[in-house]
Amino acid sequence: MPAEHLSRFLSARWGEPVTISGLKRFHGGSARQTYRFDATSPSGRHEALVLRRDPPSSLIETDRLAEYRAIECFAGSDVPVPEPVFCDTGADSFGSPGFLMREVAGGMAAGLLEPEPYGDHAASIGQQFFTALGRIHAADPARAGLPAMDPADAASARLAHWEAAFRADAFRPEPLVELAFAWLKANMPPPPARISIVHGDYRSGNFLHDGAGRLLAVLDWEMVHPGDAHEDLAWACDPLWSNFSGKAAACLPLADAVALWQAASGLTLNPVSWRWWRLFAQVQGLVIWISAAREVIDGRSHDPVLMFAGTIPYRFHSLTLAQALEAL
Amino acid sequence: MSLPLPALLGALAAAQANEVAPALQMLGQPGAPDTNYAGGTAATSALILMIAAAEAAAQPAREQACADAARPLIGDAAEGRDNRAAALGKLGGKAALALLRAEAQAEWAVLGGLALPAPVPVE
Repeated sequence: MPAEHLSRFLSARWGEPVTISGLKRFHGGSARQTYRFDATSPSGRHEALVLRRDPPSSLIETDRLAEYRAIECFAGSDVPVPEPVFCDTGADSFGSPGFLMREVAGGMAAGLLEPEPYGDHAASIGQQFFTALGRIHAADPARAGLPAMDPADAASARLAHWEAAFRADAFRPEPLVELAFAWLKANMPPPPARISIVHGDYRSGNFLHDGAGRLLAVLDWEMVHPGDAHEDLAWACDPLWSNFSGKAAACLPLADAVALWQAASGLTLNPVSWRWWRLFAQVQGLVIWISAAREVIDGRSHDPVLMFAGTIPYRFHSLTLAQALEAL
Repeated sequence: MSLPLPALLGALAAAQANEVAPALQMLGQPGAPDTNYAGGTAATSALILMIAAAEAAAQPAREQACADAARPLIGDAAEGRDNRAAALGKLGGKAALALLRAEAQAEWAVLGGLALPAPVPVE
């Protein structure tokens, strides 16, 4: 992403020459390429901005307009998100579809393998994290521009989505995934009490915090969709995102996380749904990692992030899924 | 049950040439636009190299042990990860699932050399 490209785009929008400095691409996040930069004009206007745009090869196929609308939906609310600025679903503005947000100053995100990523602030971060999740699930999906959905379709739609991805990308026999799909189909959960905004990738590592116990912004809304709130909760509490701590999102005991979510969402955890969506979360994870590996195998990408996904998380979820299937 | 080693090694070689080498050239240049990306790419690539080396060392013994364990159940189909996985999946049942879990456990154990502990349940 050359600075000249951004300068040209912003100069046209601001109506004066714009200088770009401090352009930096962030490592990781295979669904989007993410850059930060400073934009300055002769009139003294200065903005620190973040660009997220589509990469040539993505771990998951997603809709940037849906992501942008979800961020817009919660901007200025009690769910902290970056401030949205502009979205282009075409390639004119940024070379590929993408959008601009204001930079969240001083934010840091946890790494997957980082032990105790929130240090002494884990409980405080966890409280904000699961309360924010409940607030997302209390919101009206129509406000985020999401299509209406019959609650009876919430589980089957996600199952169909990830099974299609699995059938398209599996590159070798995966009996654990096949067994899990068979169990999930034979044991469909009850419809949710209502359709919620499902973030789709709500987990430790996908939010910014200030290192002192304050959650600054929920990020990575590219998989947002209407559905059953249990889906997000199960994903957020999956062991992969616990940094080997046994705590939900590497922050809180599971019971505390669920209690915070219930209080903020107004929903009640359904144990039957919970069991189903927890197994589903591991299947979803494995399919994502299989798709990442497939990108590498087929030569569409040599991004080490996709290789990482195709090895460590892949092996993690293979093992935990096998253990979960044995326990059924 | 992971990115196959030949594919991983091939992709790593491509990554070294196309991603890591240019990235390393940018490191240490404060004005370089992609310094953050360069450092992350180089570090992740180094981790993958360590995994590939650990996997290459562990794979023959693991394959032998998994084949030996599965042979009483599925005979010659026990040879080779993909044959074995397909046959165990087709067979079904607790014994087959236990073998699949044991192989997944052995694959994870390779990462123990990178100081990764076993998965911890969130309950």
